[in-house]
Amino acid sequence: MKIVLIAGYLGSGKTTLIIALSKKLAGGGAKIAILVNDVGVVPVDGAVMQEYGLTVKDIGGGCICCQVAGNLMKTLDTLAANVRPDIVIIEPTGIAVPDAIRQTVALAARKNEVEMGHTIVLFDTSRAAKLLTYDTLKRLVSLQIRDATIIGLSKIDLVTAEEIEAASLAVREINPAAEVIGISTITGEGLLSLAGRIPDGAVAA
Amino acid sequence: MKFLKGENVDRPPIFSGMGNVVKPVLDKHGIIFSKVHRDPELMAKAAGGMYKEFGFECAVVPFDLGVEAEALGSRMNYYDEVEGLLYPTVKEKRVTSADDLVIPKDLRNAGRIPVVVKAIKALRRDLGNHVAIGTYVLGPFTLAGQVKELDRLFEESFLEPEKTGKLLEKLSGFIVDVFKVYQEAGADYFTLREMGGTSDVMSPRSFKSLIKPHLTKILAEMPRPSILHICGDTNAIIADMAECGADAVSVDHKNCLAETRQKLGPKAIILGNFDPIKVLHKGAAKDVGPAVLDSLKGGANAVWPGCDLWPEVPKENMDALMSALIKV
Repeated sequence: MKIVLIAGYLGSGKTTLIIALSKKLAGGGAKIAILVNDVGVVPVDGAVMQEYGLTVKDIGGGCICCQVAGNLMKTLDTLAANVRPDIVIIEPTGIAVPDAIRQTVALAARKNEVEMGHTIVLFDTSRAAKLLTYDTLKRLVSLQIRDATIIGLSKIDLVTAEEIEAASLAVREINPAAEVIGISTITGEGLLSLAGRIPDGAVAA
Repeated sequence: MKFLKGENVDRPPIFSGMGNVVKPVLDKHGIIFSKVHRDPELMAKAAGGMYKEFGFECAVVPFDLGVEAEALGSRMNYYDEVEGLLYPTVKEKRVTSADDLVIPKDLRNAGRIPVVVKAIKALRRDLGNHVAIGTYVLGPFTLAGQVKELDRLFEESFLEPEKTGKLLEKLSGFIVDVFKVYQEAGADYFTLREMGGTSDVMSPRSFKSLIKPHLTKILAEMPRPSILHICGDTNAIIADMAECGADAVSVDHKNCLAETRQKLGPKAIILGNFDPIKVLHKGAAKDVGPAVLDSLKGGANAVWPGCDLWPEVPKENMDALMSALIKV
């Protein structure tokens, strides 16, 4: 069971990307489970879930504490025992710091055959200036980017090539080690490339 | 209680001000976890069992983090249908701004507040004055995240902090009043849990300007002895936490206790900080004692977990926790 984390600040396009990626991966034969903060906000109807064999569970967002970490750990245990998906995609809240979630996954891995895959952090190119200008916002966004193994430059259909390049330079400055991929869920750009990296990506939890 | 009043005690107490309920106690009484949060008798049995079964030196109610949010109109998910054990979480958040936050007029009958009140009274009847009865309420920023969409709250606090400030002000009065209701019921000590104020997410500057003033006001008005708890990376804000005016500060495993002790001085009561999940739940029994002793050597005044206990703590790890001080 490979765990893939798709994080990123509010409005970066996490949910839309997760649905698009899940369809691609499920279409390739992988059994996919999605863990989100609130099932109610995932725009997937029952028919789509059935067609692609998706399992969607909520991990109960809200406050940041051990209870949420414990619930996530327990949910991973239950998925491993009852659903046995190939890939679990976790979408935390927009303010989550990926490293804390990776630590929880590492604890769940002690009991189950769990492998931490990529941590994909989305960076909204259409709001790059806002995200990296406000002092308090920049701090959080930088923390998230720092924890990424892949940085997804999202919504590239809304910006110019120069703006994409500027965003790319900005995120590379924060995390030079991560791979940077431009993504648009509208045009489909980058999706195949990203989906191709998920099954093979194995990163120490 | 002597300990929290700053009086001399023969050894550091082993207790908590946060959620602590474990499966061996639930199983002994045949209590289903999802039901324990809504039934005062079950709640009291589960909380009192920590002392009766293990000698854990407190009884704390409630166990989850949704009591105040539910009293304010949020809908909860208790996971009744889930096999196994999950903490309740908030299912629906209805607040968008301070203006549409409705504070219930009769707190004693709002949401599950009466469940906690009855559980405190039942604990007092059952345990007398042998064991300190603790309770907790969420801090204003954390509670705001339980009644308003978390992402929206953070975005607003970054970009329009004055709007968030109004919400926190309204919640602060409510928090003090809930504490007073619990005090009337007989609770002995009171923990204000502001997990959302952690420097993991909020900058120390935002904590100081946005959250600290409200914590200070609450701690000045709420019952005592009082404890202020914040999870995560707290070293950068520990001096501000202490200035908020609680009788003790509580931190988790991410805090460097030695640095905290150095900053706050020898007289401060510092509580924490062994990891209740990595050490107590997932760790080996042989590693529990050393982790506890590390906390004490680092500067903690009591054996106190850094957060809620995860209920599936193995019995041998609880036993190891309770015997840790034999080596002191």
